[in-house]
Amino acid sequence: MDNLVITAASQVNDGDLLTARLGGRFGRMDRLSQLALLAVERLGAAFDAQPRDRVGICLAVRAGSLSTDVEYWKGRDLAGGLSPTLFTYTLPSSAIGEIAIRHRLTGPNLCFVGNGPALLVEAEDLIRRGETDACVCVFCDSITATAAELIQEPASAQAWAVFLERNGEGVILSPENGRDIASLCVNFCARKSANETNHASLA
Amino acid sequence: MQVSPDELKAKIIESLNLQDITPDQIDNDAPLFGAGLELDSIDALELVVMLEKNYGIVIKDIEEGRPAFESVRVLADFITARRPPPS
Amino acid sequence: MREPNVAVAGYGAVTAVGRGVDALRSALQSNASGLSPCERFNHPRFQSNIVGATPPNGGGDDPAHCLATEALREARDRARDSLAPIPAERIGLILSTTKANIEALERLSDGRPCSGAARRHLQADLLAADLAAEHGARGPVQCTSVACVSGLIALQQGAKWIQRGAADAVFVVGTDHLSAFVVAGFTALKSIDPIGCRPFDRDRCGLSPGEAGAAIVLMRADLAPDAAIQIRGWGSSNDANHMTGPARDGSGLARAIRAALNTAGLRPEEVDYANAHGTGTSYNDAMESVALRTVFGDACPPFSALKGMLGHTLGAAGVVETIACVLAMENRLLPGTPRLNASADGAPSSLVKTPRAAGRLNHVLKVNTGFGGVNAAIILSHG
Repeated sequence: MDNLVITAASQVNDGDLLTARLGGRFGRMDRLSQLALLAVERLGAAFDAQPRDRVGICLAVRAGSLSTDVEYWKGRDLAGGLSPTLFTYTLPSSAIGEIAIRHRLTGPNLCFVGNGPALLVEAEDLIRRGETDACVCVFCDSITATAAELIQEPASAQAWAVFLERNGEGVILSPENGRDIASLCVNFCARKSANETNHASLA
Repeated sequence: MQVSPDELKAKIIESLNLQDITPDQIDNDAPLFGAGLELDSIDALELVVMLEKNYGIVIKDIEEGRPAFESVRVLADFITARRPPPS
Repeated sequence: MREPNVAVAGYGAVTAVGRGVDALRSALQSNASGLSPCERFNHPRFQSNIVGATPPNGGGDDPAHCLATEALREARDRARDSLAPIPAERIGLILSTTKANIEALERLSDGRPCSGAARRHLQADLLAADLAAEHGARGPVQCTSVACVSGLIALQQGAKWIQRGAADAVFVVGTDHLSAFVVAGFTALKSIDPIGCRPFDRDRCGLSPGEAGAAIVLMRADLAPDAAIQIRGWGSSNDANHMTGPARDGSGLARAIRAALNTAGLRPEEVDYANAHGTGTSYNDAMESVALRTVFGDACPPFSALKGMLGHTLGAAGVVETIACVLAMENRLLPGTPRLNASADGAPSSLVKTPRAAGRLNHVLKVNTGFGGVNAAIILSHG
């Protein structure tokens, strides 16, 4: 059985958004989509080698689109009424659309509300079943202050992304490595630094 | 009172959250949709909201608004002609 | 297709045509429409007051939970004999919803009363966890939320869990309730038909918001020997085109359909009926017509759309429309397209307007598409 390998990983937070320049549409997106899109951008050109219809997008969103829902609904009594743009982002899966459009990825999609290892478990299943050959997996934790108060959770603005494919250089998806995306990102970056140090010392 | 293209461009940039674009980068006679700013159908709806919010102009039917969105200059003229007088 | 097979062991629904699956079956047979004016939406903020509303059940601040509960109770009851011997740890639950209990956000924003439970169910994952606990599902729990394809994705996930042994039975529950939040949103997009949606009609001009609770009990086929219908294949894809407008060439949906046929091991000509997404918007229905032609060529199977009966039920759509397909197969009936008057020029000629007896209904295709360019398809087959 092939190993499934994480060949790219990234983590971003709202501070990173300040300097992000991802084209004309970026400013119109909600923060959730911005974080997700930036995290995928920072994976680098990891999936350029794949046929675009064989790359899936799997997304997990900790508190759904609640933060965007709050922002959208605030506009109900303003002159002019509700924002049609914001309404299109009041879905946890909107970020999938933005990722797909930017990177022209036409493979299968999954989106869960909540956190936990389901994201990578299901992405692995998609690949092993042959429904796709690789997955962009993103976990977004974006809760604004207002939403945080509503659900009694701390505010947050982070996203993690990994690229999962059959074989390749990186962190193997093994029972030991677990399925927590944040830990896997840390694991990947540590491994990458160690390799770079090794190469530097060999040079 | 004539709406100035510069004021209008600032409102367009603000209501559509256009990143990294300043009013002087938008040509007054360039198309707003399709080419140029590459706005799309949702942006058109957002501009309808902007028109009511900033100028008190209500567009019931998006088809009614379509010719007005041809360019900044055409839109400015449209607003000038249609805005309710100050009460 | 991998073993084990996945069967539909039970179903339950509460929709615009009434409480219970029997009401849905009657509506399919009579081609009824459950769309009607709703006083709640008599306000300029809403483009139309014509919606697909479920029968009133005492109001309340937790409609998402109410709809889900009612549907799940009926589904479990119908599957009770097969469910009885299955340990709770082997029963999973997947919730499909776009907005969960968004009612709570409206109440809290207005300073109106809102219970702790209603507020808690604003979070879809907590709603899923509670439903699982309330209905004896101590196996895996998940909440899928993929716009209007959530329901089909939830069914796919349930089938996969059973096939890889993560569960022996899965409650797949779809719920979305009518809300000012959603109706005002579609109004902002100017995408509502003022007189009620008319899928695939020449004069169609928009959707009708709806609500529903719908539940399907999926089970390992060997544990449900009386269950006749199985989920045999599935697929999903993205248009990668535009956030709300489908790719005009229908290529994304065609891809999802082909993936489903692939996993089912079927050729296009083996499909006996297709149930479309058919929202009634100009773009969606045109795109679906193109997608169907792309996959089936000139031999498009009989197809129809049910949103003229139920409205667009969002997160519940995939589940309730699949139940309708199962009922069609059980009753050898080709469902019609309620509120269709004159077919659109581009629609394949096999569009079914009024219900009729089916010659053969061995394999049925169900599709949905959604915001963000998502497409999904499943294949149902007689076991």
